[in-house]
Amino acid sequence: MLQLSRREVLQSISCGFGFTAFAGMAAEAAQKEFQNPLAPKQPHFAARAKRVIFLCMRGGPSHVDTFDYKPMLEEYAGKSPGEASGGLNNQKGRKLKPSPWAFKQHGESGLPISELFPHVAKHADDLCLLNGSHTTLPNHPQALVELHTGNFQFVRPSVGAWMLYGLGTENQDLPGFITIKPPARLGGAQNYGSAFLPAIYQGTPIGQTRQALKDARVQNLANPQLTAKAQRQQIDLLQSLNRDLAGRQPDNSQIDGVIQSYELAFRMQSAVPKLLDLSSETEESLNLYGIGNGPTDDFGRQCLLARRFVEAGVRYVELTHENWDQHKSLKARLGSNCKATDQPIAALLADLKRRDMLKDTLVIWGGEFGRTPAVRNDDGRDHNSAGFTMWMAGGGVKGGLRYGATDDFGIAAVEDKFHTHDLHATTLHLLGLDHTRLTYRYAGRDFRLTDVFGRVAEKIIA
Amino acid sequence: MSKRPCGLLAMVVVLSIGATAVAADDPAGIEFFEKNIRPVLVSKCYSCHSAKSKKLKGGLLLDTREATRRGGESGHAVVPGNLEDSLLIESLRYEGLEMPPKEQLPEAVIAKFEKWVKMGAPDPRGGKTDPAPRVIDFDEARKFWSFQPIGNPQPPKVADGKWAESDIDRFVLARLEAKNLKPVADADPRTLVRRAYFDLVGLPPTPEQVDEFVADPSPAAFAKLVDRLLESPQFGERWGRHWLDVVRYGESTGMERNYSYPHAWRYRDYVIASFNADKPFNRFLTEQVAGDLMPAESISQRHAQTVATGLLAIGTKSLNERNREKFAMDIVDDQIDVTTRAFLGLTGACARCHDHKFDPIPNKDYYALAGIFRSTATYYGTGSNRGNRQQGQLLALAADGVRPVATKAAGGKKNNAASKKAANQLRAARKRLEKVKKQAGENPNVKQAAAIKRTTAQIKRLQRLAKPQKAGKKPAAPVGKNVGLAMGVADSNPKDTQIRIRGNADERGETVPRGFLTIATLGDAAKIGDAASGRLELAQWMTQESNPLTARVAVNRTWQHLFGRGIVRTVNNFGANGERPTHPELLDHLASRFVASNWSVKQLVRSIVLSHAYRLGSRPNAKAEEVDPDNQLLWKANHRRLEAEAIRDAILSASGQLDSAPGEKSLVATVGDGDIGRSIQPARFAIDSVKRSVYLPIVRSAVPEALRVFDFPEPSIISGQRDVTTVPTQALFMMNNEFVLQQSRHMAKRVIDNTADNSDRVKLAYRLALCREPAEAEMQRAIDFIEQTSAQAEAAEAKDNMKAWSGFCQVLLASAEFRYIE
Repeated sequence: MLQLSRREVLQSISCGFGFTAFAGMAAEAAQKEFQNPLAPKQPHFAARAKRVIFLCMRGGPSHVDTFDYKPMLEEYAGKSPGEASGGLNNQKGRKLKPSPWAFKQHGESGLPISELFPHVAKHADDLCLLNGSHTTLPNHPQALVELHTGNFQFVRPSVGAWMLYGLGTENQDLPGFITIKPPARLGGAQNYGSAFLPAIYQGTPIGQTRQALKDARVQNLANPQLTAKAQRQQIDLLQSLNRDLAGRQPDNSQIDGVIQSYELAFRMQSAVPKLLDLSSETEESLNLYGIGNGPTDDFGRQCLLARRFVEAGVRYVELTHENWDQHKSLKARLGSNCKATDQPIAALLADLKRRDMLKDTLVIWGGEFGRTPAVRNDDGRDHNSAGFTMWMAGGGVKGGLRYGATDDFGIAAVEDKFHTHDLHATTLHLLGLDHTRLTYRYAGRDFRLTDVFGRVAEKIIA
Repeated sequence: MSKRPCGLLAMVVVLSIGATAVAADDPAGIEFFEKNIRPVLVSKCYSCHSAKSKKLKGGLLLDTREATRRGGESGHAVVPGNLEDSLLIESLRYEGLEMPPKEQLPEAVIAKFEKWVKMGAPDPRGGKTDPAPRVIDFDEARKFWSFQPIGNPQPPKVADGKWAESDIDRFVLARLEAKNLKPVADADPRTLVRRAYFDLVGLPPTPEQVDEFVADPSPAAFAKLVDRLLESPQFGERWGRHWLDVVRYGESTGMERNYSYPHAWRYRDYVIASFNADKPFNRFLTEQVAGDLMPAESISQRHAQTVATGLLAIGTKSLNERNREKFAMDIVDDQIDVTTRAFLGLTGACARCHDHKFDPIPNKDYYALAGIFRSTATYYGTGSNRGNRQQGQLLALAADGVRPVATKAAGGKKNNAASKKAANQLRAARKRLEKVKKQAGENPNVKQAAAIKRTTAQIKRLQRLAKPQKAGKKPAAPVGKNVGLAMGVADSNPKDTQIRIRGNADERGETVPRGFLTIATLGDAAKIGDAASGRLELAQWMTQESNPLTARVAVNRTWQHLFGRGIVRTVNNFGANGERPTHPELLDHLASRFVASNWSVKQLVRSIVLSHAYRLGSRPNAKAEEVDPDNQLLWKANHRRLEAEAIRDAILSASGQLDSAPGEKSLVATVGDGDIGRSIQPARFAIDSVKRSVYLPIVRSAVPEALRVFDFPEPSIISGQRDVTTVPTQALFMMNNEFVLQQSRHMAKRVIDNTADNSDRVKLAYRLALCREPAEAEMQRAIDFIEQTSAQAEAAEAKDNMKAWSGFCQVLLASAEFRYIE
């Protein structure tokens, strides 16, 4: 009896019957069934956000030129920070440099945003500026790895991997954690790796640095020789073999896992390329994101893909925009970076909003640190981990809010300080996960993303 | 920041308490304290932070003035007059630590505390400052099972004397009989021979090898087969790889700057050769910890023993670290971590910042070991380049001995080419400048002035670039041609080191004499001489008969690789947080016999594989299932997924493409020194090879895809057990990856060329991939598939049906059966 019902179930799978139905039916049929480790899981408490889009501005975008308005810099232009602050913050040989860009208040909230982000500024009332952000070290390699894994000293699972471990993913036909054009260095794959968590939770990279996104492919997603029909025939034969084995080894629940994995893979083959193919998007949508339009084309594609992925049920999507490390040519290069990203980001926010998805999609913008308001080179700013700005939108955070603050010049965070660990704790919290309870046992103890740190910024939660 | 492997907040507090300790304890201040502070401390804090606490948390006492100011493991709780540095205030505000943990105190109360600290923290309370330090009662702690001396228990009496063929069987059967369980029937010969081949050499048997055993599956024939496999060079490739997991073998630094280790492969080859030679495990251990200090009878032995110490050099390195002291202590930490976990099954590195939270390893013992490794220089290479702040040296394996040599600049040729290019540009720029200056004369116009300024700046920049790259910080010792380079260690300036307070490399406490872990010292331990680092003595201590851990840990790993699960399931953790052995007496029996048989790994493997318990089938049994659903008592064989290497090697074996000759060096050696992701693109390591998987390049963050998809362990971390996940990426790999498609074609060609008869072809394909013949129904489905697919193909292609046959072969390689052993 048991064998029969099991076989029926397995056959129904090959006809495209869903995983959930299978899990329910099979649970009655056998003691220990294969547990899909990516199946959606209940959070610890009610979640505000269901998914995350992280817009990683790699290199450290200057906060005092973008989202952290510091009028005092005008007044003290050319003075050393020591003179300006009465002896504190004495940085030898540096002179305070006001932003070459003008700030204006935007929206009903009146958030001050610089003219570098005219499109994003239109969403001021959705933005929660995290002006008190800070991190441990002002070096790219460590700070970027800490931003992604919470720890730069040891190889640790990335934020996205923890999230999949905690929540599973909603669409089993797609990877649950996708990172678009991740940097190959500065931690490389460590930034989206699973470390000691099971490998299944690692991120799936699409495209790479310095490669146009339109040429990006996902590995092993297409068979170069077979049509879908021919491959289906092949898989049918394969599954008949697997089902026979499952019949012979009814106590080996892993066989069920293998059977499912082929069905999922087969569906993934058609689901992923469909999502990567932007031809079904309307002209209006492509224009909105600035696709086909010079500087905004590539990041526009990334943002549109992000929207398509989260809409399809991907849990965690990261996009990378490189080269925010303006030690020199600030005016030209920060300007061009913002030009390339402003419209696409604004489009993403608008698009999520009109699809009523912004309310439970957490969008995070920021780099591994910010830049110094006091400069040595008149057209450049250096690394600053003591104070910088990230921002969040949607996903249950308050809009139109400036949370935290740096000092009068933007040198260091002084109010509602928001460390990278706090960013992680708050992100998990918004997803319904308690960062102190999301643990994994490795090497004899329970590890967590935030180690012993992390504080949820309650004040930003709507 | 300090390192915190065990999760303790470590704050760097610069102020010393001495300078501000004397507070103005005027009566008003005391009154303030009594009224506003003491009651809160008593009601909210004392339960965890007073001498009377049941369990003192964080080493922090708040019940005396001195203790409050001194603070606990995280730093000074109160620095009078200084809110910023007073951890107590930070904790009350929930800005780091969050105290009291249950609920934050009201704002008004916190404000009182702030006022109090600003006042100078007046505090009348006297009393002893030292929190009663947690004194480990080692005699008590040694009652824990893994610290007990290894016994030599007598095999128990069993009812079914016929089933129990060996002592191992008697230990296993006794536990089953105690639960009224019986072992299931033996595996059939085909299953057994496949299991034995994969377990011992990591490869499937050929059809002929299967036939041979099936024709005579007698115990004597099985014993002969096992002996042959133990003697084959593939044994070391299989079992060496098991060890490489444990010692976090990787061919690059990993971490934020990922520099290649072009010479790490020598250590890999040393490990393989050691298993093949059945090097006694105690010697194997000693060579890896102190091979450089052991006598050698020949120069090649000297070289091999040097390469063995690569164990201590191949760990991850944070090359971007600025602080040299911290960098050095991080290397020491990696060495302590690998030594204690790989050999002793203890998480010794947890005691870096504080006493171990769970196991009886005091902070002091960590620094006793740290002294040994601080007295050791580590040679790990890595080329000089931007971003590498911690370039190391290598060891030259010269004909007359071993000596340190500098590493060359990363990217060598490329950099020299760049400097040549710059030199040419420099010459041109100088000419240009001369010309402009000549034209301009005394009074250059605006354009000329700008050109002069620009060209001068350019020359300055080019001058810097045109300098040939320096080759390392120290002048290279002359190295003759054909001299190998290796990673490893050597003694250097032996001396004891100091405790680093809370693990912070620069905050030194008392000096600790070099030594070993107290808890595992059951007999006398060797004394470390003034002139010695202590590594040799450490190895002696780990391998002496009274050490309760080393032999147990080693036999447990071996058992795991043959049964799919260790007798102690947590193979790297024999401490309080590890699991208890399912068969403690069997573990001791194996360990004591292991030591008695001169630590022979091959004899250990042989005795386990020749036990009756190993030959069991995997048929289910309802009664046993109910009593012992996890099969802890071993009433049947476990289903096991093959490791990534075995899957890939089996594919190559079925396709007939496997080149079983040992791989030469490593692709990383060919690519050379460099920063992966910057001067070396990771794609360079994704090169096809038909060598066994153990010879593929294991670059951290760029592990070959064929291995990565099937749960190859993260090479940066010590790994004792492989994960087994079943995910769509594996299915996609088997369906579409070029390697699999190519091998399927090779296999198809092999099958087609062998015979013209379709059913014979199907049979051969089954035998090659699954070590068995197809059942009738399977044969029919296969033939149907071939015919159907051929009919769809273009006429030209249909001639040899290549597409159909390779599609069919791929099905077998992709099947669940292919990747599982029973």
